[in-house]
Amino acid sequence: MATTTTAPSETTVRPDKLVYKGKSGQWAFLGHRISGFLVFMFLLLHIVDVSMINVDAELYDELHGLYGNILLRIFEVGLLFALLFHSLNGVRIVMVDFFPGMVRNERRLFTGVAALTLVAGIPGAIVILWPFIDGKIL
Amino acid sequence: MAAVAQSPSSPAVAPARSAGTSRSRRPKQNFETWSWFFMRVSGLVLLFLALAHFAITHIVNDVVETDASFVGERWDNPLWRLFDWTLLALAMTHGLNGVRWSIDDYIRSRGARAAVKAVLYTVTGVLFAYGTFTIVTF
Repeated sequence: MATTTTAPSETTVRPDKLVYKGKSGQWAFLGHRISGFLVFMFLLLHIVDVSMINVDAELYDELHGLYGNILLRIFEVGLLFALLFHSLNGVRIVMVDFFPGMVRNERRLFTGVAALTLVAGIPGAIVILWPFIDGKIL
Repeated sequence: MAAVAQSPSSPAVAPARSAGTSRSRRPKQNFETWSWFFMRVSGLVLLFLALAHFAITHIVNDVVETDASFVGERWDNPLWRLFDWTLLALAMTHGLNGVRWSIDDYIRSRGARAAVKAVLYTVTGVLFAYGTFTIVTF
C-alpha cells in the first residue's frame, strides 16, 4: 500500500535536483572559512617578512617595497575584503549564537554583512590602489 | 493508538523537561566548549585589533611608507609592541583553531588528519615563537 503511493514521487526526483545549492547561511559559512584561511596564510607570511627587520633592515625595506607594486596592492585589496567579511560575519555569528532570536533575521543579517563589507571595502580599495589610479592607470 | 504514543518515552522525557529550564540543565563543558567560546571572544577583540592594524598600515599610511624606520619609531613605544604582540597571539590562536576545525571537517582519514595537524601545529608554533622573538628583541 505504502509503496504504491511513495514510488512515483521517488522516481520523479531527478538526481540534479538533489544538489543542495545553499542559502545565505551556507554561503556565509563558506565565505567565512575561505576568508579565514586566506587571512591566516597571509599572517604566516607576514610574520616572516616583518621578522626580516631583525636580520637586516635593508633587506626588510627591499622586501617591503614589493608591497607597493600593483599586483601586491590588488592582493592587499583582497586581504581587506577578506578581513572585513570575516570580521562582520563573525559579529553575525556571535549575534546569532548569543541572541537566538536573531536567527529569525538571519537573511537580513547576512545582507547587512555583505553590504557593510562593500561599503567599507570599496573606499579602502580606492585608497590602497590610489597611486595607480592617480598616475599609472588613468 | 493514543496509549501507544503515551507509553515508554513520555514518563522519561516529561520529568527531564519539567525539572529545569535550558539554563539549569547545563551540559558538562569540555575543551571544545572553551574552544567555541574562545573563538567568539578572540574574534570580537581581533575585529578591533586587526582592522586598526590594517587601517594604520594601509589606509592612514601608505604601505610603502611603513619601512624599517616607521616600524622602529612605532616599536620605541612598548605599548605598540604590546598591541602588535596581542594581535599576533590572538590571530595565531584564532587561526590555528579555525584551521583545526576545517581539518576535522574535510580530512577524513585518520593518518592524513594527524599528519596535516602535525604540520599545522609545528608551523604555527615555530612562527609564533619567531614573531614573539622579533617583537621582543627588536
